[in-house]
Amino acid sequence: RAARVRVGKGDKPVTYEKAHPPHYIAHRKGWLSLHTGNLDGELGAAERTVEDVFLRKFFHGTFPGCLADEVVLKRRANALVGCLLLLPHLAPAKLCFLVGYAETLLSHLYKCPVRLEVQTVPAKVVYKWL
Amino acid sequence: DLMGVRFSGSHAQTQEHKTNPLVTISEEPETLYKRLSLLVKGHDKAVLDSYEYFAVLAAKELGISVEKIHRPPKKIERFTLLKSVHIYKKHRVQYEMRTHYTCLELKYLTGSTAAVYLEYVERNLPEGVAMEVKKTKIEKIPEHIQEPVWDTLPQVEETEVKS
Repeated sequence: RAARVRVGKGDKPVTYEKAHPPHYIAHRKGWLSLHTGNLDGELGAAERTVEDVFLRKFFHGTFPGCLADEVVLKRRANALVGCLLLLPHLAPAKLCFLVGYAETLLSHLYKCPVRLEVQTVPAKVVYKWL
Repeated sequence: DLMGVRFSGSHAQTQEHKTNPLVTISEEPETLYKRLSLLVKGHDKAVLDSYEYFAVLAAKELGISVEKIHRPPKKIERFTLLKSVHIYKKHRVQYEMRTHYTCLELKYLTGSTAAVYLEYVERNLPEGVAMEVKKTKIEKIPEHIQEPVWDTLPQVEETEVKS
């Protein structure tokens, strides 16, 4: 009963990510955060998880109401790449500023190069109505 | 390979060969590697397959011979935890983490080729994938082992060993 959206009256829009429960992860879903901490014989899983939680809260806050879906975090040899899907609620100039602000602040906080790849989507992509 | 052959009659190309600043020529002899073994591990088999294709292509372009590509069996780490916060011992949750492996073995490389190939391949490692490299060096047998010891020592009288 974890990470499942309960079936309702049919008026709740649900994205592809949320519609699938966790046992579909390698089959119909992908991973939201990609790092080598969880592989066999690799260390550092807990630190990555803590960083991930902080980053998701941070992005939820800096882009108020603009996130279309969960942030996909990738770690490539010390660099952090965050892939965001944003809704066009804010003006493009403001979005640019927020992206730059987030990048510089996070690089100074985590002492590693941080890159944000942002894509704007006209509306949340609905997969199912539950 | 298609080389662009120019049939121009003019001798405009007879300039001095400019030394490329990226190429260094050193006097020390090259270290030779008998085998370069790359073990790639990841959670997603499709990612590993595409990375293996990329690495094999890069090796072919550089002229490195690939000995074999084998896929060791996947390892699954499973653990069972209690589902609830306080009691209900009979209801548990099971999680598992799957690691898929691919092993690429390359034959007979020189030190500089290995350095170039590894640098290129490591820089393009996809996220969520880890790699371990093992190199087998070929070295000359050191001088003091080249001849068997019993040939070189002078004749010594046998002494009795007292227990």
